Amino acid sequence: MRLTALDEAAEAIGLKPGQGVAEARAICPALDVIAADEVADRQFLEAIADWCDRYTPLVAFDGVDGIFLDITGCAHLFGGEKALLDDVLKRLFHLGLDARGAVSSAPGLSWAAARFGASGVIIADDALGVASPLPVAALRLPEETVLALQKVGLKQVGDLLAAPRAPLARRFGTLVLLRLDQMLGREDEPVSPRRPVADISVERRLAEPVQGEEDLLHLTRQLATTLKSQLEARDQGGRRFELMLFRVDGRVFRIVAGTSMPVRDPVRIGALFCERFAAVHDDLDAGFGFEILRLNVLQAEAYAAVQADFSGAGPVDTSLAAFIDQAVARFGPDCLAQPSLKESHVPERASLLLPAAAARSDEVVPAAPFRAARPIRLLKTPEPVEAMAEVPEGAPMSFRWRRCFHRVRRAEGPERLAAEWWNDGEEAPTRDYFRIEDEAGRRYWLFREGLYEREPRLPRWFMHGVFA
Amino acid sequence: MAGSAVARESLSVLRETIARIEGRPASVLAAADTVSLPALRPQSKAGDNANGNLLSLGLPEFDDPLGGGLPLDGLSEIRSGELRDAGAASGFMLALGVCILARKLGSGRLLWIGETIAGMEAGLPHAAGLADYGLDPAGLLYAAPRRPEDALWLAEAALASGAFAAVILEVRGNPQRFGLTESRRLSLKARSVGRPLLLLRQAGVEEASSALFRFHLRPAPAAARHLPDGSMLGGSIGNPVFHLTLEKSRLPAFSDIFLEWSAHDRQFFLANPHALPATGRSADPGAHFSASSDGPDRAAPMGSVVAFSRAS
Repeated sequence: MRLTALDEAAEAIGLKPGQGVAEARAICPALDVIAADEVADRQFLEAIADWCDRYTPLVAFDGVDGIFLDITGCAHLFGGEKALLDDVLKRLFHLGLDARGAVSSAPGLSWAAARFGASGVIIADDALGVASPLPVAALRLPEETVLALQKVGLKQVGDLLAAPRAPLARRFGTLVLLRLDQMLGREDEPVSPRRPVADISVERRLAEPVQGEEDLLHLTRQLATTLKSQLEARDQGGRRFELMLFRVDGRVFRIVAGTSMPVRDPVRIGALFCERFAAVHDDLDAGFGFEILRLNVLQAEAYAAVQADFSGAGPVDTSLAAFIDQAVARFGPDCLAQPSLKESHVPERASLLLPAAAARSDEVVPAAPFRAARPIRLLKTPEPVEAMAEVPEGAPMSFRWRRCFHRVRRAEGPERLAAEWWNDGEEAPTRDYFRIEDEAGRRYWLFREGLYEREPRLPRWFMHGVFA
Repeated sequence: MAGSAVARESLSVLRETIARIEGRPASVLAAADTVSLPALRPQSKAGDNANGNLLSLGLPEFDDPLGGGLPLDGLSEIRSGELRDAGAASGFMLALGVCILARKLGSGRLLWIGETIAGMEAGLPHAAGLADYGLDPAGLLYAAPRRPEDALWLAEAALASGAFAAVILEVRGNPQRFGLTESRRLSLKARSVGRPLLLLRQAGVEEASSALFRFHLRPAPAAARHLPDGSMLGGSIGNPVFHLTLEKSRLPAFSDIFLEWSAHDRQFFLANPHALPATGRSADPGAHFSASSDGPDRAAPMGSVVAFSRAS
């Protein structure tokens, strides 16, 4: 067992990461050792990254203990880079975290300054001056390269800058030069954000945190009103919206709501989140309130604006789409289904219950060839029945289904349906369907699975559906 | 006779007031009057739009006892006694839905909210079967919410949205969560938006509810198929027939009625329960083929059986 991380007191004693636990205990017998939990650490870092979303949408992870924020174009919202950095560090301090940070024009330099130098804002002209005294370990190089550099006396970044480039690359690899250039901003270094940036996002910072659902909804509608003009400018409507709620203690909630057609009406967007709030009710713990609300448009589509006519009523009735959105926001996308015809002669594949939003496609199903009537309700899985029938292929005389005895009065059939060998394999049994009516007038759809003597298994009878 | 005319007028005003309090449409009142005056009974026609909120099936035997037709702005209940009658009950409900769709209300769709357990026991709607039955599957939305409260919420939201021509709510048995209070609430909602809510109670018993009418539905033997020459094909299963009993009504009602649904005409007809078609095998069984197995012409086994004498 080795030490992976140390607190300040342990560092003061002189312990180092990578030391064996036994050795560390020999140095300090009162050492308190806690097993590392990488998953929990990661979750914690993710939570902090969520929290950092308040400053910029471009937040990226850096290893296991760092976060990059791309604050291009965001700093002025917080009163400048210095004020932003101070705000981040102050708030993290109040959340109980010991954080260090630096702002510079290159991610590499910020990384180095935050870990090895003094925190603060580094203006671009100062980059060389700040970078030179840093140790070579600040270049984010593999450990063996750092050791090799130190062995030949290149201990500081400044030493590398003074050395000729070609021999350096030959001896230590091109990565050294790449990192060097990235640190000084000569080479571009992309920071990959952990979430895609929303097309449009609007946010509201509150002086006083809110807790009530009503207040949240009201604010959401206000945000949606702000959103509307932006959507109008792009000729778009939103299909998927995300509401981010930043709680005062640093927790962030994301609530996503989708619609079945592009929407930009604030009232409808508000109604969507009204249903979502009802659905996630127990998971949304307001605690001491939310201080920032942000509404993102994750997916936008072209919105065909339709002019209303003078007769008053709009030409398009959106009540159905509104209802579907309302229900989907509350119960999930599968709650409303539409029976749709599919191209197959096997009854259970000929009809599918597709989600209402997905079933809008204008898929043309070719008309089925002549076939016997199908039941209005089909059982999910055929249920075995004990039937007495003429052998080999007669209609049943009587049968017992769900412990009830039915005497058959009339029967139509058989309608022979072979299995789809391309799906079920060649061994799949053939079915003979019979439409039967019992003495009380109930109409059922029974089938015999398998043929006598021609197929290996003994035929069995099943109930598959009910007729009107 | 001026005095009696004034008295009659005040009487009719009183009647109208009572009808309003009871929530009955004025036409019901008129129909109640005509019951005693059969000569003045208005002849209803299918698709008659004179009275916008009544669904007339075009059959006086069905419409008149209901006061001109099934009200389209309230709750009507249809109940089947056993779950194995679910096919007939759902079929009658969907047939009513087809008739309502012809009115082109809302977006021209039906919403069928079924309890999950009812869907598991009685089956899910089958698109090909619905098409055969006269209902375009694209005109039906089916919802199977997990909890009864969700079903009620869906029904109320669907009625309030006004997007559906009719909402069908299917419950199994007499759940406690759906009692008089809930049905009253849904019924008021349906009345305020002027859309029908059809309650389909599978395997339930009679229960106090705020439905305007409650039918008990039983299956009945189907009509036989028609042959081109007008005769019936014996032993065939043709249009479905439903046996309806009006259990709850504010008006003098029929006791039993047999209705036949023709998917081709998308219309109900009166069926004669006494002229039940012949049972047994079809009169014209078609070409007779020999059975596919165990026939007399099986291939003989190869070779011949020879008796050997015992070896020892």
